[in-house]
Amino acid sequence: MTAPNRFAEAAIAVAAALILAALVHLVIVLIAPFVATRDAFTRLEPLGGLNQTVALPRAAPAEKLTPYADPAVATAFCRYDLASGPIRVQAPASRAFASISFHTSRGLVFYALTDRAATHGVIGAVLGTPEEVRALAARDDEGAPSHDLRLAAPAREGYVLMRVFSEFPSLYSEAEAQARQLTCRPEPVPP
Amino acid sequence: MTDFVRVLVICMFGLVIGLVASAYALSQPSPLDRVRLGAWEVEAHAGSIEADPYARARLERSGEIPLAVGEGLQLIARVDDNGRPLDSHCVYEVGPRVPAARYWTLSLVDLNGWPVENLALRYGFRSSEILRAGNGDFIIAVGAEVQPGNWLPIGAPEPFALALRLYDSPLGATAGAIDKSAVPRVTRVDCG
Repeated sequence: MTAPNRFAEAAIAVAAALILAALVHLVIVLIAPFVATRDAFTRLEPLGGLNQTVALPRAAPAEKLTPYADPAVATAFCRYDLASGPIRVQAPASRAFASISFHTSRGLVFYALTDRAATHGVIGAVLGTPEEVRALAARDDEGAPSHDLRLAAPAREGYVLMRVFSEFPSLYSEAEAQARQLTCRPEPVPP
Repeated sequence: MTDFVRVLVICMFGLVIGLVASAYALSQPSPLDRVRLGAWEVEAHAGSIEADPYARARLERSGEIPLAVGEGLQLIARVDDNGRPLDSHCVYEVGPRVPAARYWTLSLVDLNGWPVENLALRYGFRSSEILRAGNGDFIIAVGAEVQPGNWLPIGAPEPFALALRLYDSPLGATAGAIDKSAVPRVTRVDCG
């Protein structure tokens, strides 16, 4: 075998290895959300049933539930499955910052509301699949349109997270009590 | 036979390089969405429906629940203003201002995002509880030994990171538009 030939062969081998490496990398990044076993939804799922509000422990060295959680913020969540119909999510607003955010089981955040969007001290929305939201809208009374904020979820399953900011350490338990007031209830669909 | 071995070796190399590159990429903020502001890094769209595949894969792998874009923004510093990794043997000063937000918090975490045990039981500061100068400026001293004023303890002799969260901030996904001078400086003061 001549020298230039050897060189070309080595170059081809390196190129092949790199192309394969790029493909492996691409596949891993794209499938990670679907095969992750330690993602937030998997960690939260066993803590509570469907539509049940569960307060999460305060971030501390001994509480290894989800990383990068803020020890100044009280959190509670409820899990949803829109297969059995839309749900109504409600939470009380407070003087300090409070918010609810909507997550899919694959870790996508698709909407959030803060206490600034509260009406009469309540932050709320009706969450459904796109079909359910359309069905609700179709049944609207034209004379008295609904004031509900209707959200079409991009996935059937996921969770709603409530965050309440505590302005001082002594106010944390109050914030936690407020976070527990998050409710997720099945929303009746009129016939 | 030698051809078979050659192909096998190429496949092994490809696989290993791909795995190592993926593990590295997913332990970092998304390369497609990373904004650097002084010592701080932000993934501007991690908390939105537009999160890119790298950001999503990293979040799913870490188990973190990201702040939604409408809720606020999380900035992480793993280095100081001069780009040196944060060292638990040093004292740092963080301040004097933060970008516009209704509330913010600064907390110390290990490189996996968990709070670090310390005797003072202090894991972070809120904007509503810190001591400030007359003009509203502040300094938070980060160090292993007790510091005067706002002291954020480094609980363990290990590398650490600082997490700054801006709640109800008008910046949201426009993190790239934050002025670099608006984020707090992370200044290394002294190393014991």
